[in-house]
Amino acid sequence: MGLSRRDFLKTSVAGATAATVGMSMSEQVEAAVKASEAGWQWDKSVCRFCGTGCGIMVATKDGRIVATKGDPDAPVNKGLNCVKGYFNGKINYGQDRLTQPLLRMTNGKFDKKGKFTPISWEQALDILEEKMRWAMKEKGPHGISIFGSGQYTIHEGYAAAKLMKAGFRSNNIDPNARHCMASAVAAFMRTFGIDEPPGNYDDIEHTDTAVLWGANMAEMHPILWSRITNRRLTHKPMKVVNLSVYGNMSSDIADLEIIFSPSGDLAIQNYIAREIVKRDVLDWDFVRKHTIFATGVTDIGYGFRPANAEKFHTAAEMEIVKNEQSHVIDKWEAIAQRRKEGEVVAQKNIGTPVRHWHISFDDFKAALEPYTLDFVAEVAKGDPDESIEDFKAKLQQLADMYCDRKRKIVSYWTMGFNQHQRGTWVNEQCYMNHLMTGRMSKPGDGAFSLTGQPSACGTAREVGTFAHRLPADMVVDIKKHRDLTEKLWKLPANTINPKVGSHFVKIMRDLEDGQILFNWVQVNNPWQNTANANHWIKAAREMNNFIVVSDAYPGVSAKVADLVLPAAMINEKWGAYGNAERRTQVWRQQIKPPGQARGDLWMMLELAKRFKLKDVWGEQPMPGLKAEGFPDGKLPSVLDEAVKMGYSPESTLYEVLFATPENKKVKWPDRIAKGRGNHIAELLGDGWFPEKALFEEYRQFGMGKAHDLAPFDVYHDDKVRGLRWPVVQKGGKWVETKWRFNEQYDPYVKKGEGFNFYGDFAKAIPTGNLDGVTDPKPVPLAGKAKIFFWPYVSPVEKPDANYDLWLCTGRVLEHWHSGTMTRRVPELHRAVPSAVCWIHPKDAEAKGLKRNDLVWVESRRGKVKVRLETGGRNRMPRGMVYVPWFDEGVLINKVTLDATCPISKETDFKKCSVKIYKA
Amino acid sequence: MNLSGILVVAKPDRREQVVAELNALDGVEVHQVDADLGRIVAVQEAADIHAEIEGVKRIKALPGVVMAEMVYHYIAEDERSYEALPAELQDDKEGFDSCVVPAYLNS
Repeated sequence: MGLSRRDFLKTSVAGATAATVGMSMSEQVEAAVKASEAGWQWDKSVCRFCGTGCGIMVATKDGRIVATKGDPDAPVNKGLNCVKGYFNGKINYGQDRLTQPLLRMTNGKFDKKGKFTPISWEQALDILEEKMRWAMKEKGPHGISIFGSGQYTIHEGYAAAKLMKAGFRSNNIDPNARHCMASAVAAFMRTFGIDEPPGNYDDIEHTDTAVLWGANMAEMHPILWSRITNRRLTHKPMKVVNLSVYGNMSSDIADLEIIFSPSGDLAIQNYIAREIVKRDVLDWDFVRKHTIFATGVTDIGYGFRPANAEKFHTAAEMEIVKNEQSHVIDKWEAIAQRRKEGEVVAQKNIGTPVRHWHISFDDFKAALEPYTLDFVAEVAKGDPDESIEDFKAKLQQLADMYCDRKRKIVSYWTMGFNQHQRGTWVNEQCYMNHLMTGRMSKPGDGAFSLTGQPSACGTAREVGTFAHRLPADMVVDIKKHRDLTEKLWKLPANTINPKVGSHFVKIMRDLEDGQILFNWVQVNNPWQNTANANHWIKAAREMNNFIVVSDAYPGVSAKVADLVLPAAMINEKWGAYGNAERRTQVWRQQIKPPGQARGDLWMMLELAKRFKLKDVWGEQPMPGLKAEGFPDGKLPSVLDEAVKMGYSPESTLYEVLFATPENKKVKWPDRIAKGRGNHIAELLGDGWFPEKALFEEYRQFGMGKAHDLAPFDVYHDDKVRGLRWPVVQKGGKWVETKWRFNEQYDPYVKKGEGFNFYGDFAKAIPTGNLDGVTDPKPVPLAGKAKIFFWPYVSPVEKPDANYDLWLCTGRVLEHWHSGTMTRRVPELHRAVPSAVCWIHPKDAEAKGLKRNDLVWVESRRGKVKVRLETGGRNRMPRGMVYVPWFDEGVLINKVTLDATCPISKETDFKKCSVKIYKA
Repeated sequence: MNLSGILVVAKPDRREQVVAELNALDGVEVHQVDADLGRIVAVQEAADIHAEIEGVKRIKALPGVVMAEMVYHYIAEDERSYEALPAELQDDKEGFDSCVVPAYLNS
């Protein structure tokens, strides 16, 4: 590095600025650039990191990525890059890149306690096949599992879901996106009947207000933040509100910063709702035409093990976990839920947390009554050093904004809402306030769930790589959805297993109690990203099971694995991602994967060649299965039906699911490649183009169902920079949809309807009041969205005399997720080499500690050593500490609590209690 | 430390003077000038976002400046010097040798 870091950054900033405004470079710079770019080949690609989905231009020369830059033609980032985005080209080139399969062996044989030894792909596939067969023989289809990803390409996720659900008849595939936006999904489905945001990023340039609810956009979504900053500087009425449990970089430009207590957001939303109702500023025309009021069961537990927890948890852990069975109401919950302090509430609905019903507006209004300014300020004030009067004034200002019907508002959230013990509810509360004031699906008015991963939307959600899902928002436990999927996949009836598989945390628990014997990790790092990690590390290393990890770099998960498979990274394979605003974007293979590394898609296709229909489509045990048309506890044989359909019991899953006659018509090479390679097609060597064929097959699911995608080649057009679905053909052109549910923009809404929330999931519900169902007959509510009331619920683990501090976890700007990629980029690693524990200086002082001291952060579940930070970018209130999770040397998930939202099953990584003492 | 990329448009006849004035401002460097359109890319270093916004106002107030807008914004508040990189990250090694099993995988 010739330049200092600062000079380097300044040059980058200047370049980004010039590119953005379309300025030609100075002659000198241009000449220098031309000379240095001789022989470079530029092509469009996408950023590998967060869910923003920035367009990146990638330059290659002699088979190597030599440069990347923000794509000036990309509407998302308009040529800009954040600091991570700048370094996309470097993530492929870390020195410890995995380039050969590695198996734990002793004396040339697999040994769970052995040392990692390089083996060939043939040997790797042999042991993979052997262990899968063993697990299925012992436990049936649910003895195997896959940890999938919101970083899968669309093709990879589609192949993984099809291989598991159609091939192995197992629904035990669940993505790390479960940890990331499952609460957003559940709330979208329950409120609108269909997944993903109605609006898009263009809302920023139309709005008057950005309200951040538990989303530190300045650090986590810097490019969207630059658009918000720009709006703030150029549009006079624009206000920015930052609601957070600690002060952060997003507060720097905020007009209003509200520091609230953990779970205080539930109360604040109800205060706003109460003000909207009290001041009668509802958009009554919108509310009457397009919404209904609803509520549901509240005694739903905290997502711990529903039974036998004491077999697996220590006595200290059980102090918290016992709340899954019964919970003692605290003084705030008593007021918020119209109960008595000290009342013991049996958690009767842990098995049915999704139950909800229609209520009257009068009931809704009555439910909000306890959420007065005085009460909410007491519950929700998060900074002990702030006066209650100041805090009340801020809450009033916030309510004034939502009550000012002339003001356009977009509410943004990410993990603060989603990783929440009542994550589904708090998402739904946000829609409550937007729907009541008619602020939905209009330019500049909406509630927008940001995502943290590049294809959490495009792959995990849209393809359906969840334990309960099928493509295009369909689910395995609805017969109509299975029938349609079986038809499109050309499967015999009843091939697809109707029993929902294990969600992410439950896969870990199933490994711990020996129900799952085989696990394959794809494109993520579960042993670093899952809360209460000590349990899962022990389960992987000490139980009789087989863990396979496909990865580019050796992270914590590779360390606990039995077999490590070297994976190709972005730009080493063809791919497609879908970002948070429903934009599907694609890239070509630019370079070859190093050494023996291969795309995950190739690994799955090769494995599929090794299983025949007779191995997997005969009768299979499925303990606990009860579904109409299925024998209890069994999946029926579908082999006879398969033969009638022209398959043979000797046909392989590769032939039946992937290299089908239709798919083999899609030939490789293809002119869309413009001369670039495809290592997967070339290795398969049977003449088809798997990524294109699988994308075209996958498209069939969304067509005509408001999930329409354009053909593969359209996205690869040089002029196209992604398209927001539904993408429908009009006058020979493929046209994207900017605002869904709004007749002006959405082709699925008829003229004259105004708005139509047409999603069809859970669109017939019973009727009741605040205490329960009064008429169980489902009433259809086609085209309407639901305005839910949900009460305040305290966090299940709160600081006490022993564990006296809140712990919140999350990311930092420079690193992404578990750091396996960003820590291989020297500039990023140097910027933030290790995690620190942010703490209020007075808290540190009271414990006799100071900045830079090495301390233990300890909970009921585990402890880690970390350095203290009392200054810097995060300003903690007294009583709370923050530790980011990117650093495997500070494995903070050993400390965190594995409580989840009982509806979405998404873990709450934002609140548990810890103590801190000198190490 | 906050870095912002600022697009400054100067009256054509005052361009050189504006460039000189910008370079004279504390924390500001001119990186690029488009002579025909009078457009200037300046990079400003500021302690925090308030200083950054004040800094842009200061540029807007310069005589000869038609327009100044913050286009790109980079925040690196926590920059300090760190110890040397761990060995495995020090060399930007070319190519890939056959896989070496990282030591810590077998620890």
